[in-house]
Amino acid sequence: MGPLGSIARTALWVASCLVVAAACLPGFYLLLRAGEVDARAWEVFFGGRTLELLGSTLSLAFAVTLAATLIALPLAWLTTLSDLPGRRAFTVLLCLPLAVPSFIHGYALLAAFGDGGLLDGWGAPRPRIYGFWGATFALTFSTFPFSFLAFRAALLRQDGSLLEAARSLGASPFEAFARVTLPQLLQAFRASGLLVAFYVLSDFGAVSLLQYDTFSRAIYLQLEGAFDRSLAALWSLGLMALAVLALGGSWFFGGAEGPTHAGRASRRPRRAHLGGHAVWGFAAVLGTLAAGVGVPVGVIVLWLTRAADRWDFERFWTAAVNSLWISLLAALVTVLCTLPLAWLSARRASSPLVRVLERAAYASYALPPIVVALSLVSFGIRAAPFLYGTFVLLVAAHVVRFAPQALGASRGAFLQLSPRLTEAGNSLGGSGLDVARLVAWPLLRPGLVAGGALVFLTTMKELPATLLLAPIGFSTLATQIWSATAEGYFAEAALPSLLLIALSSASVAFTLHREDSAGVGATG
Amino acid sequence: MSEPLLTVEELCVCLGEERHVAVEDLSLELRAEERVALLGPSGCGKTTTLRAIAGFEPVRGGRISFEGRVQSDAGGVRVPAHRRGMGYVFQEFALFPHLSVEENVGFGLRKQSRADATKRIAEMLRLTGLEGLEARRPFELSGGQQQRVALARALAPSPRLLLLDEPFSSLDPNLRGTTRRHTERVLTSVGATALLVTHDRDEAMSFADRLIVMRAGRAEQAGTPEELYAAPRSAFVAEFLGAANFVEGEATGQSARTALGEVPLRVPASGTVSLCLRPESLELVVEGGAPARVVEREYHGASCIYGVEGEGFQVAVLAVGDAPFRKGDAVGVRVRAPAVVLEG
Amino acid sequence: MDRPKSPLLTAALLVGAVALLALLAWGVSSLRTRSAPESEAAPPAAEVLTVYSGRNEKLIGELIERFERETGIRVQVRYGETAQLAALLLEEGPRSPADVFIAQDAGALGALARSESLAPLPEPILARVPDERFRSPDGVWVGLSGRARVLAYNTQRVKPEELPRKVQALTDPSWKGRLGWAPGNASFQAFVTALRLLQGEEAAVAWLRGVQSNQPRKYKNNTAIIEALARGEIDVGLVNHYYVFAAAKDRPEALPVQNHYFEQGDPGALVNVAGAGILRTSRQPALAERFVQYLLGESAQRYFTERTFEYPVVADIDPHEKVGRTLAEIGAPKLDLSKLEDLQGTVRLLQREGVL
Repeated sequence: MGPLGSIARTALWVASCLVVAAACLPGFYLLLRAGEVDARAWEVFFGGRTLELLGSTLSLAFAVTLAATLIALPLAWLTTLSDLPGRRAFTVLLCLPLAVPSFIHGYALLAAFGDGGLLDGWGAPRPRIYGFWGATFALTFSTFPFSFLAFRAALLRQDGSLLEAARSLGASPFEAFARVTLPQLLQAFRASGLLVAFYVLSDFGAVSLLQYDTFSRAIYLQLEGAFDRSLAALWSLGLMALAVLALGGSWFFGGAEGPTHAGRASRRPRRAHLGGHAVWGFAAVLGTLAAGVGVPVGVIVLWLTRAADRWDFERFWTAAVNSLWISLLAALVTVLCTLPLAWLSARRASSPLVRVLERAAYASYALPPIVVALSLVSFGIRAAPFLYGTFVLLVAAHVVRFAPQALGASRGAFLQLSPRLTEAGNSLGGSGLDVARLVAWPLLRPGLVAGGALVFLTTMKELPATLLLAPIGFSTLATQIWSATAEGYFAEAALPSLLLIALSSASVAFTLHREDSAGVGATG
Repeated sequence: MSEPLLTVEELCVCLGEERHVAVEDLSLELRAEERVALLGPSGCGKTTTLRAIAGFEPVRGGRISFEGRVQSDAGGVRVPAHRRGMGYVFQEFALFPHLSVEENVGFGLRKQSRADATKRIAEMLRLTGLEGLEARRPFELSGGQQQRVALARALAPSPRLLLLDEPFSSLDPNLRGTTRRHTERVLTSVGATALLVTHDRDEAMSFADRLIVMRAGRAEQAGTPEELYAAPRSAFVAEFLGAANFVEGEATGQSARTALGEVPLRVPASGTVSLCLRPESLELVVEGGAPARVVEREYHGASCIYGVEGEGFQVAVLAVGDAPFRKGDAVGVRVRAPAVVLEG
Repeated sequence: MDRPKSPLLTAALLVGAVALLALLAWGVSSLRTRSAPESEAAPPAAEVLTVYSGRNEKLIGELIERFERETGIRVQVRYGETAQLAALLLEEGPRSPADVFIAQDAGALGALARSESLAPLPEPILARVPDERFRSPDGVWVGLSGRARVLAYNTQRVKPEELPRKVQALTDPSWKGRLGWAPGNASFQAFVTALRLLQGEEAAVAWLRGVQSNQPRKYKNNTAIIEALARGEIDVGLVNHYYVFAAAKDRPEALPVQNHYFEQGDPGALVNVAGAGILRTSRQPALAERFVQYLLGESAQRYFTERTFEYPVVADIDPHEKVGRTLAEIGAPKLDLSKLEDLQGTVRLLQREGVL
């Protein structure tokens, strides 16, 4: 029950439903547009190509989710529960691939492994990177930080005494890990797996560079080639259907899980001593960093060596400032908007309505950003014309798209805040406000900040919605990079790209620094 | 007779969305400096009762009054938990993980001046034996230390009533005894009134002045530990408070005829009765008594518990001191003390 | 209530926070203003023109700034991909704030024309573009610059004798594994549409199948094809003529890629246009007309030839000397470019044949 009055509880439900409704807006738009489709379009849609694309999209999503998990898990363990030197720095660095736009990952792969690339120049044997394997590689290294962060948070929440109990019962360290820790990671896998899979569904940049056809590609082709929004809407609905299926599937995996031990200050497990094996740890971390960060940054640095067309510092600076503050704003608003639903999701996890709402918030995450942008244009210009052309719609687009990221982290934060703690505060004479300020906020802050940082990162590199919805003349680092690379002016894309990565890494470093060292982990 | 500090009248509490009735028609009274325990198996509603008294759960029926003022009732009155002036010790301690021991203990003292608060904190830490641990964080403490911090924290604001929810159950079994005695000492020294919830009978019986045994949301029986032990009204209460033997018999006034022979009764009765005999009410003899055979032998050094089987009965017998019998021996069972007649 | 690890760190964080706030303040204040520096001599900007440009900022931004300086009219530009902006315009409908739409291909303009979103252009503007291939037959849009379809080739791997004269030759097995195209690119699709119109549906299908059997490599856009040619990934690629020059400008070393034009009248010698149209719902039609007029003026047309090596559409300007060929010499097939609007049909065809 808790100290919340019925008014507060009603407000919570209303707020959550509103946010979810906003997240489902693109869906309504798609249904509207799809209704305008003629018979010939259905013919195309249901033609053989659709099944083929379905297969290729699904297999890519599965492969990337699996690969990202397999990479992220050992890395999360290495940076939280082992004594690998440089853990903190590695943790920040391992989050960086999120800051790199996916098409740069694609370019990076081509530059390194493509025909005429680096390895080709050295005459070294190289893997075939086009098509499925290249796309999997590029997308895995773009998205594994989602899984990494989720697993890391779960591992930080581990109760050391449970592991010690298992050890005392004769389990080897590995067995203890497998039987005690691994099941608790299932929740982390579920949350991050969805993020990764949906990111893959919505991605266009990497797959087109590496020449692998997916659903999102079909959507772009419809829009670009045929100016056919209705057919594009059909494909988008197809994507949403996939997303809904995935969400439905996650219903069976996930479920009501109560808060952790109510402030029974569980001891963090002792760090495993690596000794000589540290060299493997380094290899794993450095290898991942090389693929996920080193290669893209290397490519960008290579761009710097090309001749620059002309350099406009003021434009660059304005774009940088714009990127910063729109990302901060988006992060703040998104975290705030998802707070009610996160609370409900943590405290009322058994209610079917809450479970539906929670999943519905993911509805638009699998859609290509252009679709979300168009739906908001459609809605905005009709329902709220005074808002059209202002930042409100742009921020709304970010909230709609990135809510799941903030939701996951906020939910984790609330799960960590046992209701017993707030009750304890109450029993000691603290009013609701006192408890919120002195107990809830310090404990929630790392998780909320982490969610905000994630939204910050993805907003920094966001492109299509910014192009369509931002006030005219508003440029960001991402739009600058696009401007330059679209016409092949790579040299001018270099500095904005580097700054983008630098700002993003600063935000990650900031988040991790704020983590309370007393065992209250952040991200989740 | 002074006014009771806490009065609970016909309390009815429902939990969860399905409106499951957790507590029904429970009444109790607590006087100043009294220590009462709510005893019962898990799920019997004892914790719910405690939480309702603290203000964490709303009340569906009945009334809770504290110091003469109504705190919760079915009509919608519900004084917020933070204004009730009751301390609460949680089963899992619920220490604030982001605060040090000192800050935890001082949490309820925010309204006081810094000087007063610091003094009080030091006093509480001394009282609970936690000096030197002021700067530690909860996760750096052992279970026993955490329990003491929880106690110190709850007592620091000098609450008029202390509510304890199974405060020793999360500790190692060998720690429980010492921690319990320590807690009792602390409570006595501050003169606290306490309501304890537990499923452990040893805890309840040693800690409390009065017990209330609960079952399925209702109060089965209330009284002093001695009363409940010696005169349980039901088999449930009897078994909950200690080992018990049950025999059927035909009562004719002061005694009843049973498989163990004629058994004297504490209270006269007639007709078919269920009787309760504590193991220490029986003794084994070489000759005489109801014939039986020793089938179990549990030797504890100072005492020994025999399980014996005879014609139509199976009982446990407590022998203090010498324990000459072995498994398989033929013995006689004699009743040494009157039996209790169980109701219902 | 967390304690900072050291006073130094707190100080650093504080300074960082103050700097951040300052940046934020600046960001907020530059909300409505454009970032371009304004010349002191500019007369006060009284009216504002809103342009949606599918043409990259790097390729037209300078020109627009020049226009602003010369006329004192403020122009605010939304840059984006042509197709996405077209979708945006269609989505915005009558409430769109846009006055002028600049598209990189005629297809987008055709789509807007079909939905009756464009206003008829005045006679003086249309008169600037004498060649009726380069403007809308209904007079609702006008071309700004031309782009010719060419076969770019790697000079180190392809002998000039090998180069085909007709685009049909690309179906020959000798090109197996050596060819690259960008089927998602609007220019390519325009070319396929032209193929359908000029030679008929069946011939187009046959050509597609023929080329498909040579396992061509698919690329995202023309730039990618040029990059691939330079890397030696492919030997020949179907692109627009100007990409070679743009890529060469960027590199210190010489680019081993050159353009090859198909013979006159061949569908492969198609010339497409980037163009502009004025929205019917524009609130500044007079300004819009001035703007379009400017884009067709001498200074702007010369800019296109020098900046991007495109073909001018007006009569009195010549293409850049590096281009090496005039429009007349290309001999593009006679075709109504507005008919290239049937991109839907082309896209479906490409999808049916598994090209897309």
